[in-house]
Amino acid sequence: MTGVDERTLLLRRLSAALGRHGGPGEAAPPEEPAFSAATEEERIARFARAFTSVGGVILYGPPEAALPVLGEALRAEGVTALFFPPGDAGARQLAEALVPFGPFSLTTGEEVRGGSPAETAGFRTADAGIAETGTVVEASRGEKTLLPGLLSVVHVALLPAASVVDRMDEVFALYADAPPRNISLISGPSKTADIEQTLTVGAHGPRKIIVLLV
Amino acid sequence: MEPTARSFARNARKALGDKTLQAALGRTTGRFLEHRAAAVAAFPEFEATRERASEIKMEALARLDLYLGRFIEEASRRGAVVHVAREPAQAREIAARIAREGGIALAVKSKSMASEEVSFNDALQEAGVEVVESDLGEFIIQLAGEPPSHIIAPAVHKTREEISRLFERKLGEPLTDSIPALVAIARKHLRAKFLSAGMGVSGANFLVADTGSVVLVTNEGNGRMGTVLPRVHLAVAGIEKVIPRMADLPTFLRLLPRSASGQILSSYVSILTGTRRAGDPEGPERMHILLLDCGRSAILEGKYREVLKCIRCGACLNSCPVYQSVGGHAYGWVYSGPIGAVLTPLLVGLPEAAPLPDASSLCGACGEVCPVKIPLPDFLLELRADLRAQGLKTPGEIVGMKGYAGVMKRAGMLEALERVAGVLAQFFTKGKPVEGLPYPFSGWTERRDFPAAAAQPFRKQWKLRRGARG
Repeated sequence: MTGVDERTLLLRRLSAALGRHGGPGEAAPPEEPAFSAATEEERIARFARAFTSVGGVILYGPPEAALPVLGEALRAEGVTALFFPPGDAGARQLAEALVPFGPFSLTTGEEVRGGSPAETAGFRTADAGIAETGTVVEASRGEKTLLPGLLSVVHVALLPAASVVDRMDEVFALYADAPPRNISLISGPSKTADIEQTLTVGAHGPRKIIVLLV
Repeated sequence: MEPTARSFARNARKALGDKTLQAALGRTTGRFLEHRAAAVAAFPEFEATRERASEIKMEALARLDLYLGRFIEEASRRGAVVHVAREPAQAREIAARIAREGGIALAVKSKSMASEEVSFNDALQEAGVEVVESDLGEFIIQLAGEPPSHIIAPAVHKTREEISRLFERKLGEPLTDSIPALVAIARKHLRAKFLSAGMGVSGANFLVADTGSVVLVTNEGNGRMGTVLPRVHLAVAGIEKVIPRMADLPTFLRLLPRSASGQILSSYVSILTGTRRAGDPEGPERMHILLLDCGRSAILEGKYREVLKCIRCGACLNSCPVYQSVGGHAYGWVYSGPIGAVLTPLLVGLPEAAPLPDASSLCGACGEVCPVKIPLPDFLLELRADLRAQGLKTPGEIVGMKGYAGVMKRAGMLEALERVAGVLAQFFTKGKPVEGLPYPFSGWTERRDFPAAAAQPFRKQWKLRRGARG
């Protein structure tokens, strides 16, 4: 196969170009950046500021208290169906509790994946939050699918307050040893400025992202 | 893509006469610059981060054989198949083979500049695959049959009216002057493609050596759609995209969006490692990574190695007075602006791109904004010297520069000429700027006035003022 040969040839070509003949190995890794010692309260406040500035909406738990506001937000976006990963108990409870707050029905990721025309809200428990950038981290692993944050019109992420870290580095350190297939960093709604430099939300993904901090 | 960089002067004249383009360029580059400046001002660690990013890239390039070897090993261990193309033709062959073997009828593609280098879409189409560009800007120019004109805003040269007419003609959609309506049309058409495509093609913003990951940064979310839903994922990337460690990623993620669009972070960053694992809910069954050499190993060996640090943010385009005036198409190949003026000659050969190193006023703005500190102004000068050494300068320019050097080395002759010029300026224009010069100097005065020489040479004025101050 050309693949194997070309790969070896490329590496040889590079060694020759660099004048390296089994020279020194990898450089020592850079110093670990100091993680800030911010308290959870400070991290949450920082996260909320950054997440709001990129166009995200943040609600504070407990979930029961947020139901009316959440229901209204979904109705305003024309949402008619709700879905969540099958094994995500928190997301399931929230979606089910929301049904009475609007003309909402429950659907599944497979239905939406199959091209159902309903305007959906996708629910999921996030893996982490990053205060520095106002980011929700969702990885695809086990039963935790990315579809709720991918195919919906509104994405509702449940974010445990204890999982909010201060800087990006802390999240990557969590995954560096055994990265799952897909780690998704989500910072605000899907957007584009490709037409006349005019910012428009809902390019391919959700046009609204709501974090419910629990 | 066939370079037309040799026609830079003609391309540029055409661009200067295009009123729509001129309006779009002014608006776009200005806005990008403002947003970038605000983001940098709000991030005190910017300089330190820039320094660190430059060092990491230099380290990655200095041991590229090692890090690329590690990347190939780690990616393969996690289920990806890594291919290498030494030349564009080989890249096209590999892409066509992957599509054929995967039984692919429809591919959705997110932005990849590297794929443009090798005319990637043509290769897939010749193999019978429908290829749909999914980045909104790229989707628009694909419908229009044009190449991108800006690294991160490929359709900056199109107005909403033009886009609406294009959607009417090609997609059968009603005319509208609402930008959200246009975005919704594209969303609807592309969603159907995402859900049915057999293969997602992406570029790569970074390749992480210690995990074998491909990193994608997008705002629209098209990069995620195409790498979560289809059963095959093909990533196309230049070999210089490698960074040593996942731990290096934050440094670059802090620089790229700020430099590109002034964002703290783009809406979506996807870190994609290997194929879907047993028990995973989604993700591709096959992952291919196509690494392009296509001239890069030769750059690595020479004095322009640092140009391979580029992270394709587009900041140098926006800050460049030449790009601001002529836009991207004038550069005649995939990359435009100062980075294009350096990279194109190195990748396609100096004779094919001879006018590009001169498409610069050497103002230095590109070097100041570059987030990885590529010495672009120095490289532009160096390339001009290479052009001269390879006999690619016109006899007129060589004679002119020799004459200029001769005069500048002789103070007496310079002063004598300055006196003559001063007298002529007083005689012909009363010291006002010259509006029209005869050929061959008319090229200058067609678009701007030539400043008149002062009545007194500089050295004389200097002496007089020093004298007056005592």
